[in-house]
Amino acid sequence: MGIRTFAAIDVGSYELTIKIFEFSGKDSMREIDRVSKRLDLGSDTYASGKIGNEKMDELCRTLKDFSDIMKAYKVDHYKAYGTSAIREMENNTIVQDRIAQRTGIRVETLSNSEQRFLDYKSIASKGESFRKIIEEKTAILDIGGGSIQLSLFDNDTLVSTQNVRLGVLRIQDYLNRFSVKSTQTEDVIYEMAMARLDTYEKLYLKDREIQNLIIVDDYLSPWAVKKSGGDSGKAVLGGEEFDQIFEVLRSQNPVQIASAMDIPQERVSLVFISAVLIKCIAELMGVKRIWVPGVTLCDGIAYEYAEKIKMFRGEHDFEEDIIACALNISKRYMVSRKRSEALDNITTTIFDSIRRVHGLGRRERLCLRLAAILHDCGKYISLVNTGETSYQIIRATEIIGLSHQEREIVANVVRFNHSRFVYDLQRTDSLDRDAFLVVAKLTAILRLASCLDRSHKQKLKGLKASLKDSQLILTVDTQEDIILEKGFVEVNGEFFKEVFSVEPVLKQRKIF
Amino acid sequence: MGEIDFYNPEYYTNRELSWILFNHRVLNEARDKSILLFERLKFLSITASNLDEFFMIRVASLWDMVHARYQKPDIAGLTPKKQLELLSVAIHELVNLQYSTYNRSLVPKLKENGLVIVGRHEDLTKKERVFVDKYFEENVYPVLTPMAVDSSRPFPLIRNKTLNIAALVRKKDSGQELEFATVQVPSVLSRVVELPGEGKARKIIFLEEIIERNMHKLFLNYDIVCAYPFRIMRNADLTIEEDEAADLLKEIEKQLKKRQWGEAIRLEVAARCDKRLLRILEEELHIEEDNLYVIDGPLDLTVLMKIYGLEGFDLLKSPKYTPQPVPQLPAGCNLFDEIRKGDVLLHHPYQTFEPVVNFIRQAAKDPEVLAIKQTLYRVSGNSPIIAALALAAENGKQVSVLVELKARFDEENNIVWARMLEKAGCHVIYGLVGLKTHSKITLVVRREEDGIRRYVHLGTGNYNDATAKLYTDIGLFTCSEPIGEDATAVFNMLSGYSEPLVWNKLSLAPLWLKNRFLYLIDREKKFVLEGRSARIIAKMNSLCDQDVIAALYSAASAGVKIDLIVRGICCLRTGIKGVSENITVRSIVGNFLEHGRIFYFQNDQNYEIYCGSADWMPRNLERRVEILFPVDRPELKEKLLHILQCQLDDNVKASVLRPDGAYTRASKRGKQACCSQEAFCTEAVEETKRMAVEEDLATRTFIPETGHGE
Repeated sequence: MGIRTFAAIDVGSYELTIKIFEFSGKDSMREIDRVSKRLDLGSDTYASGKIGNEKMDELCRTLKDFSDIMKAYKVDHYKAYGTSAIREMENNTIVQDRIAQRTGIRVETLSNSEQRFLDYKSIASKGESFRKIIEEKTAILDIGGGSIQLSLFDNDTLVSTQNVRLGVLRIQDYLNRFSVKSTQTEDVIYEMAMARLDTYEKLYLKDREIQNLIIVDDYLSPWAVKKSGGDSGKAVLGGEEFDQIFEVLRSQNPVQIASAMDIPQERVSLVFISAVLIKCIAELMGVKRIWVPGVTLCDGIAYEYAEKIKMFRGEHDFEEDIIACALNISKRYMVSRKRSEALDNITTTIFDSIRRVHGLGRRERLCLRLAAILHDCGKYISLVNTGETSYQIIRATEIIGLSHQEREIVANVVRFNHSRFVYDLQRTDSLDRDAFLVVAKLTAILRLASCLDRSHKQKLKGLKASLKDSQLILTVDTQEDIILEKGFVEVNGEFFKEVFSVEPVLKQRKIF
Repeated sequence: MGEIDFYNPEYYTNRELSWILFNHRVLNEARDKSILLFERLKFLSITASNLDEFFMIRVASLWDMVHARYQKPDIAGLTPKKQLELLSVAIHELVNLQYSTYNRSLVPKLKENGLVIVGRHEDLTKKERVFVDKYFEENVYPVLTPMAVDSSRPFPLIRNKTLNIAALVRKKDSGQELEFATVQVPSVLSRVVELPGEGKARKIIFLEEIIERNMHKLFLNYDIVCAYPFRIMRNADLTIEEDEAADLLKEIEKQLKKRQWGEAIRLEVAARCDKRLLRILEEELHIEEDNLYVIDGPLDLTVLMKIYGLEGFDLLKSPKYTPQPVPQLPAGCNLFDEIRKGDVLLHHPYQTFEPVVNFIRQAAKDPEVLAIKQTLYRVSGNSPIIAALALAAENGKQVSVLVELKARFDEENNIVWARMLEKAGCHVIYGLVGLKTHSKITLVVRREEDGIRRYVHLGTGNYNDATAKLYTDIGLFTCSEPIGEDATAVFNMLSGYSEPLVWNKLSLAPLWLKNRFLYLIDREKKFVLEGRSARIIAKMNSLCDQDVIAALYSAASAGVKIDLIVRGICCLRTGIKGVSENITVRSIVGNFLEHGRIFYFQNDQNYEIYCGSADWMPRNLERRVEILFPVDRPELKEKLLHILQCQLDDNVKASVLRPDGAYTRASKRGKQACCSQEAFCTEAVEETKRMAVEEDLATRTFIPETGHGE
């Protein structure tokens, strides 16, 4: 049977959801069941950093049910991801272990950027509608319990993405704590949002004209999809339509809203906060259309799985999005684009030529490219201590689609490109053994590549690399003098040799 | 127009009084001379058991309200107190009619047909007296518990609904003071005792007469002054009837604690009962004048069902009807294969319930089946469905069953089954807090070559193979994807998970089924206002939701033609000028209990038909989980429309609600007699015959032996 059944579990901060998917043949993904349970893990975590016993029991009971559901459908694989509520739990390792013991389900945590990336993938899983909409300038507003994520598109590639701590549950928590009157709620949210978004606007929006806003949330989306009869492609609201809805939310009491929108009453306040945020951002960007595709994290998880088992060949190149994002970050820190691209070229050439030796895969190649692109960002702050400052910048910058560990790898590779390699990294830092080795290997490659472009003049055009016995022969076609590069390769080739047992040799082929 | 207040209490009939009218219609069957004699006995017996139930639930509930000083008027503008007053009059009339039917029609008719009921033991012959005395000593005496009342022994607890004999006794020799004694007529013994035959006629006597005759043997040191049977009904219904307003609940809960437990709300005594004895009973049981029923005949006419069950007299009983096979689902077929070919509609009891049972049975054994989910409301004793579910769980299927424990009178029965299912490894849900799960739905999830496929059975009747032979119901088998998705969502919700974003086909109470109905009614109104024709035909058991009725009035006043087939309670009134002149209401009471709910909406050119588990009652629409499902396939829609049309044409078993609130038999003038239930029986039998012929034709080939055989 060519059919695979897959379960995606989202342990969200507000709701637990399992979706069962069936993959048959190419590009066919069918949702066959969807079960969700309201469970507010977020409030506990955001307030105290831990999860209460009662909620823990409820969580385990529900996950046990989910496990039974998976058994009933005989699913082939599952992925269970915890988002901000689990991530921000102080004792999340213990909690994850307890869940595994009691329910047999391994809940992994997603870093914010991974989670947002999956959300983003879930939008992309809507195929045609997505492609069409990002032809125009588009922003994605991904509203979560703890924070929101704002991503901008230009010419159908992602150009920037930023996390802002304006999550719906977090705002509600504030509102409750300050005992804000219901008549003031809107203004207070507005002020809070604007305070945070002020800088964002200056840094990222400037004079960009955004036409479309795509909304991902768990609050307004279900309603919007319901309203459009379940067809997510049609859940597009014009600016005026949105204003009308907003007027309903603003002018009626929760009971009326609940019945008018056909949603549970307890959800009304969250829907309202979500709507204020949308309104606020839509105004900031001056958008004309709002698309509410009603996708959820689970869709993204399934999309990712389908890609992995090669059931899907997504049309959209997500890797290019990540690279584009990195290029934008480096632009912000005034890294020369030319140099970045040159370095990117050299590193990938080297990487590809010694595949046999390093044994690394696609993801690591992506990390290497990111490191190459971002390698000089620290110079923005200090020309002396570039390694350390670059490292700090990268660690503090979100790069969509990267896990926490991957970001750590990129940051370290950049750092050691400039400074001495630290061998006991795995003991002092959060990297495990495998990650440490990746750092070492990528550092070796990046260092070599940096040497090759030491003059920053991109002399080495048409670089060819080939592995011969224990030598890596790097051949360049150039008329220019490459003494500087040669010297650096000889001096710095040591580390490369240490890591790969391969000696890099630079040869110049002058063509007359 | 537009000025009419469709909620005006004058436009409504009180539901209890409407119920009394329904019981009158059943009683009319017992009075109908064209019906076989023993069937008439059965109908009379049904009126009696109906009335008992009515007392325990409805009347008790009204008394609760009176005690709680609840003043809110019902939809007809009557306070609980007023309702009780009116009911008392109506019930006394009903009871009188019951007994005059019994005494004047049935008893003489039975005698004509060779069955003599000896009403009083004094009328026994000598030989018979010897027989009953012996019968008493051998069978009855050992199980009796006589109880006397004196200063050291308080008045005993008289059990609800039991038949008792009260006596005034006087101590022998001492000779002045009268004392009270009582004994319960044992329910373990048959109340009907057949006397040894003399000649052709068969004779029977009731057990209480035998005990009465032998009363002196129970109180040896006493003289029996007089002895008469009596029966009480208690307000022992501790669960408050859910139809009343919620604000009432708390009030009554408080009252419950204060109240004397299980006060008597009805006392039935024999007509000839001694005045002194009656006074003692009235005093001890705190019976008010209104609640006293003086009965001219045997108490508790449900005993007539026992007489119906006597061997012989077959010519006086209707021949038993055998439910016919469903043509699309021949015996032995693989149901999943057949359902995949197209939706299948079942009409019980004309068609057999067997496929529904087999659906579960086959699913239990089918290796491709992953899960079975079902709601159970009332199940039969020894239910094959339960057995199949248990088997499925043992075979490793995921089986989830929602067993509604709150199904009235079936609570204990259901607990037993639920335990059994749990033991077998089923996931059992014991109903939902605050809601009764009344929907009838089964979902079978099967893993097939091209992926998961869901098979669904939806019904208007319970998954009860016994009642499926008596109740008329509709069932639908389908594997349509939209309904399958909805069914999955229903069970997810019943397991406590969130509502899905979108429902494809099904409408659910208490979520928005009511709004759905209101919308459908209103849509017809819109069409009529646009100058197009509009029509609603709806068949159900009861109609008493005020919002729905008001919507019907509003639609009818705009010109929508509305025909209702309501078996029981109907709070809507017909023929009100400018309000309900376009509405007709008819009720069909026949051999089978009309139970299906079918709703037709003309919807301009493209009519829609729905079936479901819900009546248009507040309790169905607001406090129960109910499912309404559309039937989409044209040939099935036609079939349902035919059912409705046939019932509208019925002029044998149908009664029509008149503007004055009374029901009268549908007029036969100028029309052929049409009995819908009989017509459906005939149709089902004919269809079976036709199928058999077609099969013969189809297999009219010789089949050569291909092997040598053994």
